[in-house]
Amino acid sequence: MEATNNDSMNRSNAGTTDYDVLVIGAGIAGEESALKLADMGFKVLLIEKEPSIGGKMILLSKVFPTLDCAACITTPKVSETARHPNITILTLAEAESIVKEENNLFSVTFKKHPRYVVENDCTGCQECETVCPMVVKDQFQFNLVARKAIYIPFNIANPRVALIDIENCTLCGACEQKCPSNCIDFTQKEELVNIKVKSVIVATGFKLFDPISIERYGYGRYKNVITSMQMERELAPTRPFNSVLRPSDGKVPDKIAYIFCTGSRDHTVGNPICSQVCCMYSTKQAQLLMGALPMADISLYYINIRAFGKGFNEFYMQAKDMGANYVKGKIGSISEKENGNLILRYEDIVTGKVTEKEHDLVVLSVGLLANHEITKVFKNEKLELDALKYIKQPDLLQSPATTSIKGVFVAGTATSPMDIPDTIMSAGAAASETSGYLNQWS
Amino acid sequence: MTKKKIGVYVCHCGGNISDYVDIEKVKEAVKDEANVYLLKNTLFACSDSSQKEMVADIQTNELDAIVVASCSPKLHVPTFRGVAQRAGMNPYNYVQVNIREQGSWAHSDNPKGATEKAILLVKAGIARAAESEALTSSKIPAANVVAVIGAGVGGMRSAIALADMGTEVYLIEKEKNVGGHVANFGSLFTTDKMGYELSANLLSEVKKRENIKLFTNAEIVEKKGSIGNFDIQVKVDNDVLPLHVGAFVVNTGFDSYQPQQGEYGFGEQTNVITLPEFKKLIDNSSERLIFNGKAIKKVAYIYCVGSRQNDEGDNKYCSRYCCTAAIHASVQVNKKFKDVTNLHFNRGIRTYGKQELLYEESSKNGDIYLQFSLDSIPEITQKGGKTFVKVKDILSAGKEVETEADLVVLVTGMVPRENSKLASQLKIPVGRDNFFNEIHMKLRPVETVIDGVLIAGTCQSPKNILETMNSSMAAAAKINSVLTKGEMTLDPTLAKINPSQCTWCGKCAEACPFDAIIQTEFDGRIVAKINEANCKGCGMCTPVCPTDAIDLAGFTNAQIEGMIDALAE
Repeated sequence: MEATNNDSMNRSNAGTTDYDVLVIGAGIAGEESALKLADMGFKVLLIEKEPSIGGKMILLSKVFPTLDCAACITTPKVSETARHPNITILTLAEAESIVKEENNLFSVTFKKHPRYVVENDCTGCQECETVCPMVVKDQFQFNLVARKAIYIPFNIANPRVALIDIENCTLCGACEQKCPSNCIDFTQKEELVNIKVKSVIVATGFKLFDPISIERYGYGRYKNVITSMQMERELAPTRPFNSVLRPSDGKVPDKIAYIFCTGSRDHTVGNPICSQVCCMYSTKQAQLLMGALPMADISLYYINIRAFGKGFNEFYMQAKDMGANYVKGKIGSISEKENGNLILRYEDIVTGKVTEKEHDLVVLSVGLLANHEITKVFKNEKLELDALKYIKQPDLLQSPATTSIKGVFVAGTATSPMDIPDTIMSAGAAASETSGYLNQWS
Repeated sequence: MTKKKIGVYVCHCGGNISDYVDIEKVKEAVKDEANVYLLKNTLFACSDSSQKEMVADIQTNELDAIVVASCSPKLHVPTFRGVAQRAGMNPYNYVQVNIREQGSWAHSDNPKGATEKAILLVKAGIARAAESEALTSSKIPAANVVAVIGAGVGGMRSAIALADMGTEVYLIEKEKNVGGHVANFGSLFTTDKMGYELSANLLSEVKKRENIKLFTNAEIVEKKGSIGNFDIQVKVDNDVLPLHVGAFVVNTGFDSYQPQQGEYGFGEQTNVITLPEFKKLIDNSSERLIFNGKAIKKVAYIYCVGSRQNDEGDNKYCSRYCCTAAIHASVQVNKKFKDVTNLHFNRGIRTYGKQELLYEESSKNGDIYLQFSLDSIPEITQKGGKTFVKVKDILSAGKEVETEADLVVLVTGMVPRENSKLASQLKIPVGRDNFFNEIHMKLRPVETVIDGVLIAGTCQSPKNILETMNSSMAAAAKINSVLTKGEMTLDPTLAKINPSQCTWCGKCAEACPFDAIIQTEFDGRIVAKINEANCKGCGMCTPVCPTDAIDLAGFTNAQIEGMIDALAE
């Protein structure tokens, strides 16, 4: 069925409009919606605020419960999106205002941030990185290592071209002198672009919970307390180190603890719901760690295990059979020893006793939060949120991709926490709904 | 003609391959192979930057074939065929060698052996590329018509979505009525919308659309053809209708698990009922909850009945919707009736996502949660006409708790519906859990290995209604995006018959699983002929031919012999 997918077809009756659909966010949800609509023949503009498309999935190690390598299964999708004749991609682009006009068109203004590198001329040779004197934390490696002020976001970024982080740049000009293709351009300015589209898909994804607010876990104070996303990077094929290391002294850990529901099911941090993916990604990381560090003990401190999807319960049972130690108990506090090890104090539900246990690395299984800033972009009609600040789905059971604005649809984790297959299906639903809406137009 | 300028790319796949296979050794071993013109390694061959580099390599060096040694062809054959095409090379002069699934991953315990195997596989791939031939795809018209099988809420939603996108739909329902299970449901989580209303709304939307034809009391009795052009016979009441469709969306739903006689007292004690029965009881009672003439004051819910079973049971999976459904029922009980206590005997509550709020609401209502493990399940006993439930409660340090209950509700899960006839008609693969299986859980969750046969809703795995709707619409979007073009590209890797060698013994026709071999006349003799629209290029016919009259394009005898020579070197 795939063979004909790339044959371009033009079903657009765009006419006075620039695109049939604007998709906001180029993670897997945005990509999937864009691809389906583009395959149907509609003209799609896909905008992404980050310098690369691919969202969060492209940064993952392997995915549960199949243990497919995340990079290997997203790159074809990313590459197909990037090459599709009916899709135009703009990175470093952020929607500023969206106004629904009387003729039902949306007037969209978006900001195109300067890259300070001519995108079409950069060959991705990374020569500039070798001469840049500025070293800053690498956000795409979740601060585990550093990058330069001029950098390629990550190895499999798309587009794989450099950008300058102007806030950290000293304008020394070393990159400009070194660049073999003369593509550094400090004169680039922020641009405001106005276009007209017939429909909009909001695929803005989620935010990761920042555990710094849970003081008793010591994240940010104890060096060997890391987040699950940092562990994800340590396990990824494009990992920063060649082994799993703990931050304080670079030792390979052998007693690793996971703390589930960090920032989920927790009114004290304002997020009462379950994040739907953490039990399973932690279980996956446990399996990968048992493979990478066969001698390590992995303990997972949980409240309930949400192994609900296809193959999930079987995957959880497999982790247990492999020797993962699941402990039912909520962590009260963590303290740090001089050698960097951590003492976890918790109520063991099975024995009913308060217990302490020492670990040499603690991974916080951080949850997903609503990413609702996009609502302020909608100027005349209101894009409503639900009580949990996710995009409201007024007809949840019958038309889950519709929103409070006719012609604006929603896909993926912008509606609720969900895993990758559910995201792909939700994005397919958004494409279906959008196509139906556009057909009424003609 | 043998290809003389072959480009070979050996992929690290991040570390997926290079952690176990010594890439440099592989390169060293194959660099002097005949016809190798260019040899490179790459961190991720599939990344866009790497693809661009390959396009440039092919054009600058005028390569006539390429080999990529990376992962399974299932994943990336279309990717690299695309690379060849963009570079102006025939896509069928590209050969994929799998050194990941068949190399590094299979032999992660033996890096030396994995490297040796990779070397041989790459050499065989080079030999196959050397004998590769340029092939051209042909196009055939495709019907933008879909048969949606099953008119539950998911099937109706698929049909509406397809119709709105401009696809003609035949909606085929086995039963007399539409709506499936949901048509009989009252209040649904998490909206409190009524199931029968949802079903009725969908039916009225179906009826509004001229391009949906609904058949009830109907089933497919015969199917022929392939994607874009299936011919089916549909039995409606006592008539048989011939229909021409481009694809199928299978949305046949689930069955509720039926407890075995004696399972938690089911069938033996009258006050042990299933969750669907209990939901009906709630809907049909007003003011007071009465069962068999007796007012119910204490309800004991036993979770995971028929789900998450141990080795003795068939169902290892979690049924996904039942925790929330049971808790929603208990919240309904509290809303509707006074002074009823709900006791939830569970195995760890799985109200994932926003459904968590219902669990919270039930806890606030004063519902009692007790947790057991599979090695110590609740016991239901009768003493003096009363029913008691006894359990070792994990949540109170394993203490044994016994409580009286007026009604025991077995929270039954979803099981795959008995559908073997349809599964064999459409050749739908079934997974370990006996639900229909998708081709790729992550990226292609509504497609199957059979082109033109899509699956949606609970026939794929347990789902709640929201998830069923998303998957039903996703299947609609996927198949519409294929059929809306009005034509299909035929894969040219098809069998070819050399008629002068064929003696029509019929062995190939027997071996063909796709009815693609027909008889024709050649020089006054009967010989075999390939029906190209049906041939899938599976290769079943080639080895059975006693006169070597069949060659499979892309896997010709010359190519296979070349590969064997390389492997046996």
